[in-house]
Amino acid sequence: MGPALGKGIALMASGPSKSAEAIVAILVPPACREEVLGDLHERYRSHSQYAFEAWITVPLVILSRVRRTADPQVVLIQAFVLYLSFLCAAWFKEAALLQAQWGLLRIAIPAGITLLVVMLEDAYANPGRRPPLSLVRGPVLGLAFALASQGLFWSGNPKLALGRWILLSGCAMSLLLSSAVRMLFPPATQQLHGANAPADWLKQTGGSGENLRALAAIGAVLLLILVVLQLWKRV
Amino acid sequence: MAKPDSLGQFEQLVMTAILARREDAYGVTIHSKVEELARPKAVSLGAVYVTLDRLEDKGLIASWLSDPTPERGGRAKRCYRLEALGERVLEESAVTAKRIWESLVDVWGREWGRRWGRELR
Repeated sequence: MGPALGKGIALMASGPSKSAEAIVAILVPPACREEVLGDLHERYRSHSQYAFEAWITVPLVILSRVRRTADPQVVLIQAFVLYLSFLCAAWFKEAALLQAQWGLLRIAIPAGITLLVVMLEDAYANPGRRPPLSLVRGPVLGLAFALASQGLFWSGNPKLALGRWILLSGCAMSLLLSSAVRMLFPPATQQLHGANAPADWLKQTGGSGENLRALAAIGAVLLLILVVLQLWKRV
Repeated sequence: MAKPDSLGQFEQLVMTAILARREDAYGVTIHSKVEELARPKAVSLGAVYVTLDRLEDKGLIASWLSDPTPERGGRAKRCYRLEALGERVLEESAVTAKRIWESLVDVWGREWGRRWGRELR
């Protein structure tokens, strides 16, 4: 009875293994890591219970964090800018692709992957105001994943892959435009408060005048890129 | 501050749990209270986190990190409390729920009301 009781108490007092906790710590976004790891630790009963609970909890925590950091209006602008970049690149390099079957969908694949990675990068960013140059990290990572996915398509299913020049010029344009959008409308990495809160960048800029200036800046960048591409095509 | 949307049923449960736990409202205790209120339905910890985040964004609750404790592996708790707006919105929801209850008793009879009243206690 005595040793068995002692064993039971030892089992109850033990926590999750360091390696399991480290894996969960990597998966949970830093902004909510402390409380989620603490709650999972407190609810620990066995290794399998801990693994199962982490398995069903962590995806919801990530999705909630993405919802908090991704402003729907800015995500739409980002999606538009990314798709437009690859669309322009295809139009200049291989206009026939736009009429081909699934052509427009093939253009959407790298744009979609980049957007997804950018949203996840924001969710995993440390809370607090970020220096402007660190905002470029999201698009760089996103485009790296987009390039890697195209590499997989080239080797596995070439019908879904884009041409090398379309991809490279699309990536270059995406990087420029996406970074500009992120600098103009920085992601919300702080916790938001307020009923039916408007877009975070709207609160930061504090009025429509600032937003008009930001939109004018995007328009100017787009115009500049179109002029450069036009000159490039002539050369 | 704009008026928030009306509360969903799960949001009402989470806010009631925060109110019931008073100073001790954090992830684990809120989850156990919500499970108690929602029985026999099982509730995942993740669903509670998502709802807490949403309620905080709506300005209905506020949160802060407490000191780390050894039973949590040296990790801090995120504690929650209702804001004044949250209390008002929860009160409105409770009044609506009471009106629904009274209407159902009128339709399904006092015997039904007494039986469920006993079960709920």
